[in-house]
Amino acid sequence: MSIRRHMSNVRQYELVYIAPAETTEEALAELHSQVVAVVDRFGGNIEKTENWGRRRLAYEIAGQREGVYVLEVINGPAALNAELDRRLRVLDVVIRHMIVRVDEELAIAERARARRKAATTARRVRRGLPPEPTESERQRRAEEDDDADGGMEQMFRGGDR
Amino acid sequence: MSEMDRDSRGGRAGGAKREGGDKAGGRRGFFRRRRVCKFCVEKIDYINYKDVKMIAPFIPERGKIQPRRISGVCATHQRALQTAIKRARQIALVPYVTD
Repeated sequence: MSIRRHMSNVRQYELVYIAPAETTEEALAELHSQVVAVVDRFGGNIEKTENWGRRRLAYEIAGQREGVYVLEVINGPAALNAELDRRLRVLDVVIRHMIVRVDEELAIAERARARRKAATTARRVRRGLPPEPTESERQRRAEEDDDADGGMEQMFRGGDR
Repeated sequence: MSEMDRDSRGGRAGGAKREGGDKAGGRRGFFRRRRVCKFCVEKIDYINYKDVKMIAPFIPERGKIQPRRISGVCATHQRALQTAIKRARQIALVPYVTD
């Protein structure tokens, strides 16, 4: 509920578009600036741009077997999504694009993580351990064979608290 | 009547499950390991469609999505995985079909 309230008009989208492998740097820059222009016009902002470079396509698109992938993480209103989608569909340089709304699922993942963390903390406190796994415990888990001494010590110290 | 029916069905289903669990080791001579959800074990909250390495094990040769009765993924994560695979297909990271 609270999430819906404060996310009411600004949403986060991930845009992935694919250009043919032979696209020049300039053409890509031009494409990026077009995206930026649309985003600016709708009062959004681009959080991150990632160029994955040339990748093999899993199947042929527009006679191409390879493509240049670009990912843009965009914050903005819903109208921005629609306009961007329309523009990209028209452009010939983009052979495939996809816009996905991610804020809600990321929030869900974040909540799940927080819930698990809280559960771990509660369990540890019930057992009389410090709420966070200590450095020595983490090391022990990573190695998983020797150094039982540190762990025992930790347990005793925890019990005293 | 209907209540009894439901009861008996529930009982039978439970029994069958337990029996299956016991037999799982020795059925038809080959050893079947207990399947666990990879995403639950590794505590992955968000199945990212961009991460081909993460979703590739659930796409067999043919390109179909592996059913959960085979991969052992839990229902929650299978749903998320399904979305991720379908998105990855759209941007040609994984195939729709391979012949």
